[in-house]
Amino acid sequence: MARGKDRKKRKLEKKQEGDDIPKKIPHTLESLREKDETMLANQDTEEQEEAQKDIELDELSTYYENSYEPKVLITFSDNPHSKTRIFGKELTRIIPNSISRYRQRSSVKRIVQSGIREGITDVIIINENQKQPNGFLLIHLPDGPTAHFRLSSCKITPELRKDHKEITTHRPEVMLNNFSTRLGMTVGRMLGALFHYEPQFRGRRAVTFHNQRDYIFFRHHRYEFTKDGKRAKLCELGPRFTLKLISLQQGTFDSKHGDYEWIIAGRRHQLETSRRKFFL
Amino acid sequence: MNKMMPTLDKEIDIFVTTKIGSFKHIKYHTDATKNNKKCIENLIDVKTLQKEDSITCMSWGNVAQTEILIAKKTQQIDCYDTLQGFTKSVTADFSTGHVVGLGRHKRRLLAALSSGVVKIWGKQEAEMQVGKLDRMRMCADDTTLFATGGEENDLKVWRIGEAEPAFSAKNLPNDWLQLRQPIWVSDLTFLPGSNGQLLAVCSRYGYVRLYDTRAQRRPIANVEFKMAATCIAPSFDDRQVLVGFGRGQLHQVDLRNSRSDKGFKGCAGAVSDVAIARNDRLVVSVSLDRQLRIHSYDTKEMLYRQYLTSKLSCVLVQTESTTPLRKGEVEIKEETEPETLEKEESADEMDVLFDNMETITDKPKKKKAPPEPTESKRVKPSLDGSTESQQDEASQEEAIYNLLRSTEKQKRKREKQKREKRAKSVFYNA
Repeated sequence: MARGKDRKKRKLEKKQEGDDIPKKIPHTLESLREKDETMLANQDTEEQEEAQKDIELDELSTYYENSYEPKVLITFSDNPHSKTRIFGKELTRIIPNSISRYRQRSSVKRIVQSGIREGITDVIIINENQKQPNGFLLIHLPDGPTAHFRLSSCKITPELRKDHKEITTHRPEVMLNNFSTRLGMTVGRMLGALFHYEPQFRGRRAVTFHNQRDYIFFRHHRYEFTKDGKRAKLCELGPRFTLKLISLQQGTFDSKHGDYEWIIAGRRHQLETSRRKFFL
Repeated sequence: MNKMMPTLDKEIDIFVTTKIGSFKHIKYHTDATKNNKKCIENLIDVKTLQKEDSITCMSWGNVAQTEILIAKKTQQIDCYDTLQGFTKSVTADFSTGHVVGLGRHKRRLLAALSSGVVKIWGKQEAEMQVGKLDRMRMCADDTTLFATGGEENDLKVWRIGEAEPAFSAKNLPNDWLQLRQPIWVSDLTFLPGSNGQLLAVCSRYGYVRLYDTRAQRRPIANVEFKMAATCIAPSFDDRQVLVGFGRGQLHQVDLRNSRSDKGFKGCAGAVSDVAIARNDRLVVSVSLDRQLRIHSYDTKEMLYRQYLTSKLSCVLVQTESTTPLRKGEVEIKEETEPETLEKEESADEMDVLFDNMETITDKPKKKKAPPEPTESKRVKPSLDGSTESQQDEASQEEAIYNLLRSTEKQKRKREKQKREKRAKSVFYNA
């Protein structure tokens, strides 16, 4: 009922305006997002310069100088069930130069130590609860940062009625969407640093991390250009999952004695001041 | 006249260093409307920064608080004079590790490295091995004293020129399982007014302890927390300290009653350093979420928050003297627009108020459309770039408002028609 009324009203408005008025942007939580001073777009040139310098000098800058090829270790919480195991296996197919290993009751700090020794550049630890993967810990080696995500709505390829064999071994193209604040940029850079810096365009594989309202959606596609070359058809390869940042830590994993760069636990009411406030 | 101005404006100079190596001066006005981005200036050119330039330690070089000592990760120590700029620099390359503490005794410079070597420059150069360090601090009351502490290296107080420590702390007795209590001193402070005899220590293992060098070697007060403490600073009352934590909390700990009695909210990342402005009863804290925060000590309310683009490592509050902004001088030469900050020192507050009024009327002249007086007030504190978008927004809002009003009219009209129709209909009359 209300909807119909609305439509009538809108029609009336349109009639009054005529056709010459350009289309307005719909008012969504995102388009009405609260202004964030850490966003590069909202800063003046001097601040932008400094932010650029800050990015240049951070721990991930060596990857973005293309100085090394990332080598990723994927592991799980102890005794993972089949879904988590398959999910880890599929991640190894998505991320080039990655291996999946069982945890063997090792502690995260020891994994980090041996990872540094073995020349591994990133560690992913997938946590599981009630046979569903629910946590995603991403550690950049050798000296951080560490991001902890909540993992939700994870769909592995059998659940999407796909075959994991469709995923080729070509290095994918990586898309990082909407990581706009300073915190978002760090997170985006961490996710980007998992993949080889040189994609093999032959494979036509694209991996997307799309940030929307602080939820990071992961999708994996193969694309094909139409014959006229103007558009691309997409074929989802799977898996898909959603990440939400819980904390970002300076240095490698040390939840007890470490320094957090950003943590939401215990201060949600202070930080989430409005529905239109987003952190990434 | 004073009734016109409910609060007198005071300026506080704050110096902040960051993890990428920039060094900033912020002029904080207690009158909140005067705080803007013009009050912040970089004292090191950002473009020249290198990867290893991260600033690890900063402290005052003299009692008058006109000299600042800064140590970089490259073991370079710079002296900065608040009026003249950088004066001299030394390199602390006598051992490995970064600088964890700086200080000055008369004309001798002290520096401690994380590997555990403390060096004293001067006529008689001396080096001391004190074990792995996380922090070294000088005593403000008695500059011959300094204290050290680190991971598995409990608090020790040293006197310059003596090889043995003047005081070394003793660990707490073993727990009920006869296990040793772990030690990790992350920061320490001499309590002011105690002549170097009272020290407070905080730890990454979550304890805050008070030591009295006259009484006993074991702590005389111990407060346990469940999170890692990163920094400590004396608070307004003696026996009270401010402690910052790695998970972003900032508490005041009362060591007389052995409990935390105040919390300052608002940090989203680890608090890396705290300081107080004693005369204005403010708590200044910097954190890894790149924000500088100022809380009112009495009301615990956050008065000011500023994003400073990179992770902050140290903060100093200048209470003994003041520093003019350098940028202010340049701007006066460039434009005729009076810079409020510079004038404040000579002119009284009323003059400043009028100066401000001028700037309000000046600014809209440059713009095409003169905005409404209520709007100009809003425009003033923000930067030039953002004012335009605000005006745009205002006009957009107006358009939306007009549109809504017109549709309201239409609606009313239609309802009226409906009523008339109904009145005419047979069934209604019957």
